[in-house]
Amino acid sequence: MTTVTLDRESAEWLRDLQDDGRSREHAVARLHALMLRVAHREASRRRATLPGRTLEDVDDICVQAASDALMAVLAKLETYRGAARFTTWACKFAIYETSTRLRRHAWRQRKVELDDTIWDRLADASPPALQRLENDQLIAALYRAIDEHLTERQRLIFRSAAMDDVPIDVLAERLGTSRGAIYKTLYDARAKLRHALIEAGYGEQERES
Amino acid sequence: MTESDLQKLLGTSDPDRGCDESGALMDEYCEAVLRGEGSSAHFAEFCAHIANCTACREDTESLLALLREQDSTNPG
Repeated sequence: MTTVTLDRESAEWLRDLQDDGRSREHAVARLHALMLRVAHREASRRRATLPGRTLEDVDDICVQAASDALMAVLAKLETYRGAARFTTWACKFAIYETSTRLRRHAWRQRKVELDDTIWDRLADASPPALQRLENDQLIAALYRAIDEHLTERQRLIFRSAAMDDVPIDVLAERLGTSRGAIYKTLYDARAKLRHALIEAGYGEQERES
Repeated sequence: MTESDLQKLLGTSDPDRGCDESGALMDEYCEAVLRGEGSSAHFAEFCAHIANCTACREDTESLLALLREQDSTNPG
């Protein structure tokens, strides 16, 4: 195992957070303040993409995200190995918690078709991703591949995430699972579709990995 | 139709360890980018992941922007 020497500031954070007394209290308070600043900054960065109702709740969302990020950092403290500065490591939890909450809140009143009724809409409107494609034969081959090669869950997740641009964090919440699990299903579905399209004469042979 | 339209829809076949394992590398990657070392082979699978995963890409961009902001506030 590679041994990493912590920079002074990271070592102090770790020492204080692992302390039993007042040093820990102060460090936890400082960490919470940092998580809250990062949460607000993340919300500010995303402001232009957020609907009005999410902007109204943004302070509460940031408070919840900061609290959950703090809990995540403290729970995972022993996994911190010093590959990056402690504050960089901690800030990624604040960004994750905030961005996930904002995506979900922004979609709260938007419908996501979670069953095969999604197919009924095809006659009326092209999904956003297909509006960007123009090759009718390729689109037809893609629909065939979706129909013939994907499982029901893969179809649902591919259609929602890749074609309808539903954030995977929103799908994870509505399907009661994690971002990672949704992504894995999407990854497998995409691999099947790429393979099917190559077999149908579209695209080039994939590289061996 | 452009190649990037299709790639956005179908992703790439590059090795990709998914959100959880990639997320563990995000902080290390962002600091490496700031040092000009983000294209290291060590981060190849991480880069493949953020090319294919919008949520992780956005989170990485946010962390990078935060670090750049901190660096400009506290130079040296």
